[in-house]
Amino acid sequence: MRTMNARILVVDDDTALAEMIGIVLRTEGFEPFFSSDGSEAVDAFHRTKPDLVLLDLMLPGIDGIEVCARIRAESGVPIIMLTAKSDTADVVKGLESGADDYVVKPFNPKELVARIRTRLRPTPEGSTEILQVGDLVLDIAGHEVRRGDTKINLTPLEFELLLALALKPQQVFTREMLLEQVWGYHYKADTRLVNVHVQRLRAKVEHDPDNPRIVMTVRGVGYRAGSIS
Amino acid sequence: MRDFDWRAGLARLGGLWRRSLQLRTVAITVVLSLLVIGVIGAYMAISVGNSLFDSRRDQLLSASSRANVVVQNLFNSSAEQSAASEIEGTTYAAFDLVSRSNATTGGTLIAILRSPDQEGPRVPGDLASTSDTIDLINPELRAQVADSESGDRRMYWQSVSIPAENGTIDPGIAIGSALTIPNAGAYELYLIYDLSDAQQTLDAVVGILWFGGLALLLLIGGVTYIVVRLVVGPVRLAAEVSQKLAAGQLEQRIPERGEDVIATLARSFNGMADSLQKQIVRLATLSQIQQRFVSDVSHELRTPLTTIRLAGDVLYDQRDGFPPATARTAELLHTQVERFEVLLADLLEMSRYDAGAVELSTEPTNLVHLVGDAIESVSAVADSKGSELRLVAPGGHFEADVEARRIRRILQNLLSNAIDHGEGRPITVYVDSDSNGVAIAVRDFGIGISAAAMEHVFDRFWRADPSRQRTIGGTGLGLAIALEDAALHGGWLEVWSSPGQGSCFRLTLPRERGGTLTSSPLQLPPAESEPPEGGDDV
Repeated sequence: MRTMNARILVVDDDTALAEMIGIVLRTEGFEPFFSSDGSEAVDAFHRTKPDLVLLDLMLPGIDGIEVCARIRAESGVPIIMLTAKSDTADVVKGLESGADDYVVKPFNPKELVARIRTRLRPTPEGSTEILQVGDLVLDIAGHEVRRGDTKINLTPLEFELLLALALKPQQVFTREMLLEQVWGYHYKADTRLVNVHVQRLRAKVEHDPDNPRIVMTVRGVGYRAGSIS
Repeated sequence: MRDFDWRAGLARLGGLWRRSLQLRTVAITVVLSLLVIGVIGAYMAISVGNSLFDSRRDQLLSASSRANVVVQNLFNSSAEQSAASEIEGTTYAAFDLVSRSNATTGGTLIAILRSPDQEGPRVPGDLASTSDTIDLINPELRAQVADSESGDRRMYWQSVSIPAENGTIDPGIAIGSALTIPNAGAYELYLIYDLSDAQQTLDAVVGILWFGGLALLLLIGGVTYIVVRLVVGPVRLAAEVSQKLAAGQLEQRIPERGEDVIATLARSFNGMADSLQKQIVRLATLSQIQQRFVSDVSHELRTPLTTIRLAGDVLYDQRDGFPPATARTAELLHTQVERFEVLLADLLEMSRYDAGAVELSTEPTNLVHLVGDAIESVSAVADSKGSELRLVAPGGHFEADVEARRIRRILQNLLSNAIDHGEGRPITVYVDSDSNGVAIAVRDFGIGISAAAMEHVFDRFWRADPSRQRTIGGTGLGLAIALEDAALHGGWLEVWSSPGQGSCFRLTLPRERGGTLTSSPLQLPPAESEPPEGGDDV
């Protein structure tokens, strides 16, 4: 299995915490790599080619949000932020710069591992290989989204979000349903996760993000997929 | 209704009177000026009237005197004619002469009357311009004239009212003098002059006085208004600026112009505002430093706490492989780190409230579902204590605009307290709503709270009974935070309790964000909260 020896890059300036996270990750069968400096984090990312990045938001050198944006600019690798503050603008800034999810300190090992596993799990196999949303074509096996002949680059999370909507085009998804299905939260979690990632997804797939045709808003309820055109 | 309107109008006017210094000053000035102008005007009208009358009278007296001389001479020159008919003719001639000589004055009435009580023939008879003329002559005047000697040519006068053709009454003067008609006896010559021209002049003067007085009054009113504006304007500006200052617009100042007393007021006011602003900015900076410090402490504490938590959990997960003492140590470490974490979170939440750095982010939330979730999350603990949790929700099945995270936190706190103090008896949660708000009440039938303790239940770190064992391990900040959370929503958190009967905490929230509550949909405690049957046996 891919997740059994998945490579995880831990970017945290607190060496004790990084080491402890490393111990937890190894216990769970992951292979951790470490970087303690924001400016070295991107190099470490290139060197280690991780399957997932755990990123502290407060870093010496370049801060976590900037690191997040730089990694996201070149790769769709899942990024989970570690943050000491749950209710500040930092979380939203981190999500907007491309982080898939976040964990608030102090977290416990199970919480951390559950978040990592959700992000590393393979995309659920559907009965069909090809799906259509609006004027987009989703190739499920190939993890690809095309508009005509143009390929649209989506991160695995964005692909999964679009796929969840596309698999049940008749259904309206509440934010809570999406949090459970895409992020794996079984209890009430932060709906900002959904809001921010829907915005990021729309910026990539919509002709006019202010007038969405692919990811439609259902006022007061949530979202649904746009009809096939 | 009309009466009420009248009263309301009067009350409004009274209010305006009390509020507006400008109105008061102008009104008082105008009223006082009106009095003075009225007195002066009346005096002027009277004295002008008098002098007009006096000069006209003197003029008429001399005219009458001349007429008397002319008439007397006429009679004297025809003294030799003694025939009665001749005297009659002379009288007519005299009458014509007088009326011609006085024609210029206009409307003059003439009468030549025989003095009463005389011997001899009554020739010539009384002669008058009109039949009413004689009625105009007062008997007193006649008596005066009759008693006088014809030789001294003394003139007697009296004011009379002459009825005019159009029905009005004109002022006039009747002047009488004695005549001696040779061979006939004592006669009296009366000339009645119409003074309406003088009256018209007087009316014109009075009209001008009225106009002048009103114009002066308006001028005084206007000048007062402007002067008061000049003085009150800066004072009003100062009042407005100080209100803005009080409302937090610290950079507000009064413009300083000139060297007068108003400028001094502005300068000293601005000086005060400067020092206030400095103080407030200093305090705000201190508060920011404090907040920043709390925030930094939060981050600095959380990172090592995370390491400890991870380490503790790793040890805890492997405790089965440890010797008993070490295993127990791992257990204690695990639970106490958890407790420490909750305490830290509560402290930070409290400090956020103290710093005023809390923001409400509401979303439509179904409160019955939310209560259901909260009950489910504590059901395991409730079961272990033997308390059955029941939900009674006659209302509240709509979406209210609240921040679900905070309401869930309040509920968990209230439920934990109810389980802790519920003595294992059933706990009922009520949800109900009305057009304004929604209420959630958590009712237990446990030991209750004494009246003295009721005052402290929302105090920080206050414990109802220090000796009581706590199962859910509250931090002592729970109810204090719950109270702040409720207040942040514009809602209420209230408590009812009776020792031995249990307690009830009622949370009331406005249905929409920013709404105000006037009453709660639920009673405190809810009416149907009967003690559970056989509760003592549980």
